Amino acid sequence: MKRALPGVLAGAVTLALPAFLDDSALAVYIFLGLAAMVTVGVSLLMGYAGQVSLGQGAFYAVGAYTAGLLTVQGGPPLAGLLAAPVAAAAFALVVGVPLLRLRGHHLAFATLATQLILLSLAGQLEFTGGDIGLQGIPQFSAGSFEVGGAAGYAYLTWAGLALVMLVTRNVIASRAGRGLRALATSETAAASSGVPVGRYKLAVFSLSAAFAGLAGGIYAFYVGYVAPGSFPVLLSVEYIVMAVVGGLGTVWGAVAGAAVITLLVQVLNVVGTLPGMPSYAPGVLSYAVYALVLIVVVLFLPRGLVPSVAGRLPARRGRSRPRAARPDPDLRT
Amino acid sequence: MSEFLTYLVNGLAVGCGIALIASGLVAIHRVTGVVNFAQGTFAVIAGLSASWLLGAGLPHGAAELAAVLIAAAAGLLTGLVAIGRRGTAPQSSLIITLGVAVLAYAVEIVAWGDQPRSFPGLPGSVTLPGGAEIQRHHLLVVAATAATFVLLTLFFERTYPGKALSACASNPYAARVIGIDVTRMGLLAFLLGGLLGGLAGVLVTPLRPISFDTDVLLMVNGFAAAVFGALRRPGLALAGALLLGVAETLAAGYGYAAYQTEIALGFMLVVMVVQASRRATIHEEAV
Repeated sequence: MKRALPGVLAGAVTLALPAFLDDSALAVYIFLGLAAMVTVGVSLLMGYAGQVSLGQGAFYAVGAYTAGLLTVQGGPPLAGLLAAPVAAAAFALVVGVPLLRLRGHHLAFATLATQLILLSLAGQLEFTGGDIGLQGIPQFSAGSFEVGGAAGYAYLTWAGLALVMLVTRNVIASRAGRGLRALATSETAAASSGVPVGRYKLAVFSLSAAFAGLAGGIYAFYVGYVAPGSFPVLLSVEYIVMAVVGGLGTVWGAVAGAAVITLLVQVLNVVGTLPGMPSYAPGVLSYAVYALVLIVVVLFLPRGLVPSVAGRLPARRGRSRPRAARPDPDLRT
Repeated sequence: MSEFLTYLVNGLAVGCGIALIASGLVAIHRVTGVVNFAQGTFAVIAGLSASWLLGAGLPHGAAELAAVLIAAAAGLLTGLVAIGRRGTAPQSSLIITLGVAVLAYAVEIVAWGDQPRSFPGLPGSVTLPGGAEIQRHHLLVVAATAATFVLLTLFFERTYPGKALSACASNPYAARVIGIDVTRMGLLAFLLGGLLGGLAGVLVTPLRPISFDTDVLLMVNGFAAAVFGALRRPGLALAGALLLGVAETLAAGYGYAAYQTEIALGFMLVVMVVQASRRATIHEEAV
């Protein structure tokens, strides 16, 4: 019960917040939730399976375009939202078969290349609306229930995030999760212990893509239009920054990282648009903060915020301290 | 036919620019094991500062030289951040150079604005016997690249620092045993990378205007070429870069300009996947 307490508290705060926020604050709240959703996937992929993806923005884009295309053609929004993660996962499955043969920086560049190719194609093809993109995506609705205001989208986003976190937690705790951790350390060793390396990598790649796709779908309904310009390469970098800052391979770390970065950028945006600041100030400040936070965390807090902070707290649950104090039984003999 | 020849030389010039970026990547990766994501940034910094220095009244030649030196300084700084701290894993260094590249955006916008900049290259053009017209600047790019590669070969094979760099590349442990400071050699490699990237930027900017976010495209092209030489062999990287440059320019010349990016990136993906399928996992993990 004690262990569930922080989760319950976080849930209660999350549910209560939209009632107190105005529309511009709600927009930040929604984007924070969407970023967290993608970052959980990045954290799972990088932290557990040890695969670097610089193309998570591509799956976000696939989700957004899927939801947009389906509903602009008159399809039901619910189908659009459900199709978004499915399409993103299917896309990841198709590109993952050749790409996941690569590892390390090769995979990073290959995923980056995938995003660039996708954006370039979306900017040229007729049915995606070219560079202008898709306009007039309807509000999200399910049956007779229509999500009107920003508060509705906030609940939708955070419900999606809760689902994503739950799925991730269960994957981590399962046999497959242990297999993933094993293959992150050594694929050869994992394979020789019977972990189906290729299949697991592909599955977790698709899962993280599905998370990004779901976020993209909600994004499309909330903003109402999608264009290639909405998904720059920097977006994928942002997710890496958030995952690394929060702590790779931790579910809460991903959420914390997304929150810290989003709020920091938001504060700097306010500072940057103060009267007397040059017009380029908001952009410059956000670039600088992404970069500096990323560099400082990688160099000085390589485990990320959440694990580092958690490690400093007194071990209340009596899990880490006794283990450290007791001499290892194997060493005594 | 004359049209084809023009495209060919243009393509070779573009390819030479890519080759310089790729050789910087290879130099850094060989010695440090780090893939330097900020390699395109060096070119952008050099291009932008050359155009700024020319605008400030410096003569041609001096401005370009100063710009290349600025890029080399940027390379050294990147190296200090990326590998200066003991025990930084190459994977972490990659993420740090990613951070450096984004940080450079902020610096570049403050220093030079966010609009594309360019400056005139070598003016005039020559007509070949077949009737093909070739801009002099394209020839300059090709000649400068050829000279650079000759100098690089001499540097690596005839000078002490060059040999020390090669030693670190082939076996860092053994290099350290015989008294070579591997970290310092890594920094030297980053300096060299900055120099090469800067040279590419100065040569390419007159061909196509450059802005702060051009670095992604330059970097991806350079990486595509470097991958052709498995990120270790400058000669193969040069071949890959020339192939890439010619293919892109021909595609653009014959009406597929919009698909330039897809061609370059598709090429890179195919090369990488084929290479990966020919390597055993266990070998790669051991390295």
